[in-house]
Amino acid sequence: MNMDKPLRRVAIFGLLLFFGLMAQVNYVQGSQADKLRTDRNNARQYLNLFNEPRGTIMAGPDVLVTSIETKKSNPKYGRVYKDGEIFAPITGYFTNSGGSGGLERAYNLLLSGQDKRLANQEWFDTFIGKKAKAANVQTTIDPQAQRVAYNALKASTTREGGAVVMDIKTGALKVLASFPSYDPTTVAPQTGEAGVKRFDAMNRDRAKPNVDKAMSEVNFPGSSFKAVVAASALENGISKDSSVPAPKTFLLPGTNTTLPNSHEGGACEQGQAPLIVTFAESCNTTYGILGSQQLGKDKVTDTAKKFGYDQRIEVEPNMSSAKSTFTLPNADGAQTALASIGQGSNSATPLHMAMVAAAAANKGKIMKPYLMEKVVSGDSQNVIEEADPKEFGQAMSAGSADQLADLMREVVRSGTGKSLAQFNIAGKTGTADIDGVEFNNRWFVGFAPVENPRYAFAVYTVGDGSGGEFAGPVAGKIMQAVRKD
Amino acid sequence: MSSIGQQIRAQLPYTKRNAASLALLIFAMVLTLSAFAEVGLARDGRLPLGLPLYGGGLVILGFAAYFVQAKFAPYADPLLLPLAVALNGIGLAMIYRLDLDTSKTKLDARAAGQKLAEDEASAPGQLMWTFIGIAMFVVAVLIMRDTKNGEGRFAISPKTMQRYTYIVGLSAMILLLLPIVPGLGGQVNGARVWIFIGPFSVQPGEFAKLMLVVFFAGYLVNKRQAMSLIGKKIGPLSLPRARDLGPIMVIWFFALGVLFVQKDLGTALLYFGLFVSMLYIATQRVSWVMIGVGLLAIGIFVATLLPFMGHVNQRIDIWQNPGPYFDGGCLVKSGEVVPVNPDTDLYKQAAAAGSQLPGQTACRKLGGEYSDSGQLLKGLFSLGEGGVLGTGLGQGEPWRTPLSFSDFIFDSLGEELGLTGLMVLLLVYALIVQRGMKTAIAARDPFLKLFAGGVSFVLALQVFVIVGGVTRLIPLTGLTTPFLSQGGSSLMANWILIAILVRMSHDARKPAPQAIQDEGMTQIVSTR
Repeated sequence: MNMDKPLRRVAIFGLLLFFGLMAQVNYVQGSQADKLRTDRNNARQYLNLFNEPRGTIMAGPDVLVTSIETKKSNPKYGRVYKDGEIFAPITGYFTNSGGSGGLERAYNLLLSGQDKRLANQEWFDTFIGKKAKAANVQTTIDPQAQRVAYNALKASTTREGGAVVMDIKTGALKVLASFPSYDPTTVAPQTGEAGVKRFDAMNRDRAKPNVDKAMSEVNFPGSSFKAVVAASALENGISKDSSVPAPKTFLLPGTNTTLPNSHEGGACEQGQAPLIVTFAESCNTTYGILGSQQLGKDKVTDTAKKFGYDQRIEVEPNMSSAKSTFTLPNADGAQTALASIGQGSNSATPLHMAMVAAAAANKGKIMKPYLMEKVVSGDSQNVIEEADPKEFGQAMSAGSADQLADLMREVVRSGTGKSLAQFNIAGKTGTADIDGVEFNNRWFVGFAPVENPRYAFAVYTVGDGSGGEFAGPVAGKIMQAVRKD
Repeated sequence: MSSIGQQIRAQLPYTKRNAASLALLIFAMVLTLSAFAEVGLARDGRLPLGLPLYGGGLVILGFAAYFVQAKFAPYADPLLLPLAVALNGIGLAMIYRLDLDTSKTKLDARAAGQKLAEDEASAPGQLMWTFIGIAMFVVAVLIMRDTKNGEGRFAISPKTMQRYTYIVGLSAMILLLLPIVPGLGGQVNGARVWIFIGPFSVQPGEFAKLMLVVFFAGYLVNKRQAMSLIGKKIGPLSLPRARDLGPIMVIWFFALGVLFVQKDLGTALLYFGLFVSMLYIATQRVSWVMIGVGLLAIGIFVATLLPFMGHVNQRIDIWQNPGPYFDGGCLVKSGEVVPVNPDTDLYKQAAAAGSQLPGQTACRKLGGEYSDSGQLLKGLFSLGEGGVLGTGLGQGEPWRTPLSFSDFIFDSLGEELGLTGLMVLLLVYALIVQRGMKTAIAARDPFLKLFAGGVSFVLALQVFVIVGGVTRLIPLTGLTTPFLSQGGSSLMANWILIAILVRMSHDARKPAPQAIQDEGMTQIVSTR
């Protein structure tokens, strides 16, 4: 009786054991590695964060964030934010527990020098284990315009405000300002216990200074949303000169409530008026009827989704906007009518509204908004990562977009934005009542310059009066600052 | 039809492959020394201070091993020695990397008069054991040298062992019993597998492993015909006679009993697998493998029922779901796991009450069983950190894992050498095992076939149990990683194993002895 056969079988079984091990090692190190690195229990991701200087964050020539030596052993390095309140929505924060937000979080691996791409720059340094220097992040932000925006928001509002400016051809964000804000230096690693307390206090503060109003908070967009309803109308066979209903009041379907216009007299009481006139004069009744009856909920929802409604816009990794909403899924006619004039269930971020204006100014095409221009290695100054403008989507046809742009131009030429003519901007005003308080949400959403537009913007502030009177001039000032570069 | 063994023998070149062996050995040494240099440059920014000593010593011993092999076992398989040197060298470099007492920072701090605790990882110790291990190889090959006229003085061959089957079996039992002798044995990390002789600690189980292979081989060679042919057939299963199976069951139960008492599950699993595989090789009966696996299942089931073996089923639970056990978890009666790690209130309360082990105390109050998956998860985090290419030797933080130099050295290597490095290591192990298996198939003597097959398979199984454990392929049980883990007993035993394989491969590959006379000339003398 020969033992060769069972020996061979056992040899094959032994090989199978090794194949099993190889498969498992491949699974763990190949596909599970990232999951393990960021596991909740994995303390490694928080260690050594403060022992090396982090990279800088820049806007144009301005250095926004730098690391400083604390002359202590732990944390060895602190973090200083120049004009922290102004740039907080962009830079985010970095605390002594290793928590972070904004670009500090989006590019944490590069800013902390841990990214694998940094180590591979010089093979010999890699061989002897010389630690890679942290990379520096260059943002798309226009620092001068950002300062102007923050100061203008602060001066014009009694409660809060946000402003967004984006380049319509690339999607690069030039301004992302929010008021009230906070200085991230006050919660940086070097502040220790005081920083932790300050951070907790901010989370409890009802004004939410650490939540930026430009993309992370939604509010009633008011009449500025009529741009979306108008876009939907233009996409569905109505042209800018088509006659649309413009009654004095509109009885909300299924209720005894009537929807009035915001002002007496003018085109909004004629019963019928060209679309462009109703847009310029911002007739509530027209857009209530268009949204709830003539076009209907589904068509407007469709258009709104094309503009980025119902989704979080990922501006940078781990840095997404809040979700804008048109109507709740089971909205009835009355609710849809209210939502169509930017009230009721409708809530939007300035970022989304700027994307609406960008579509109008850019032949219907929306570029994906972004903040990172490039990331440069701290050692070799090589560019590690560079902005790669991507299309977000075609929100409407080029023809409809041009007509919508004309509607916006008409607002400033003859409508609710007449007072803004001096600024060379076009756009839609918005004024939304907030239940129970005397303040309004005041909006101005548009593009600049009027001819051959290059930037889209949205400004949102809270206070007395209308969007045209108060948000418009803020937008005008910001756009004057932007255009200088 | 000729058997596979005959076919392989027919194709064997019967040439000496010493040049190939030497070239591979030099490569293994260059690999090892580069690893050392990189650890030094990466960790301390300079070449390791002990490089001439470590490197020189290794080179001298490596060449000594080569010359002994080339002289006394010239037909030996050329791969075995270089592969073992490579594994041993990489393990040593990793232990040097983990021994922070040799790092520049710590040396400078000591020189500045600071008092620092010593690391558990000890590169000088491991270096000494490596020297002793390779010396054991040299001595073993010398003792087992192939002499022209049968056996010379003091010369024994693996075949000689067959004569002492029962003595070897008895010795294995005594070795396994030693750690539970009071005053001699001791418990380390929950397993009572050590004996302490003066300043040395020895794991007798590592040597008992080899002896058990000898015993099983010797015994099965005598009985295998009877065991596979005679016996009752019940359905598809054929049972052997009690008197054939009896002695082997006795030693098997004895081994398992000792191991359960010593709470060393990994070794129990290893011996069990060895027993079943050798039984299969000897008798070719699949039904016996089934019976064996059934016995194991019953054994594990019984173990989960015994109150003092509570950690067996918990190990299985940790394997499936390690998260809640991180830094301490408590398996309560309902099957839920309540975390009692230092961040929990339960832990803090127990600590405030002055408990030395707050986690365990808190768990006892809940009426559950305490366990901690911290090691396993930290090992996996280490692997995750390495990813595909690894951080590079000396550039990771493998010391964050407890026992990173012994049980978890495979994870430490995974962090710094990456998936790529681990695949190489597994291939090296697989090659050693397959070379051993080939030796077994090519061997002419049934005892040597079983012996070689047994030692090769036990190596494969040991790697599988420990590497599978630290990569969460199977529940974690403590075993040494052959040639890599820190520890003298394991190194010595494995070097002896390689020596045995070298000698057996020499026997298998050397040309068959020539008949002195032509058959035609043989006179047949009638005795009538």
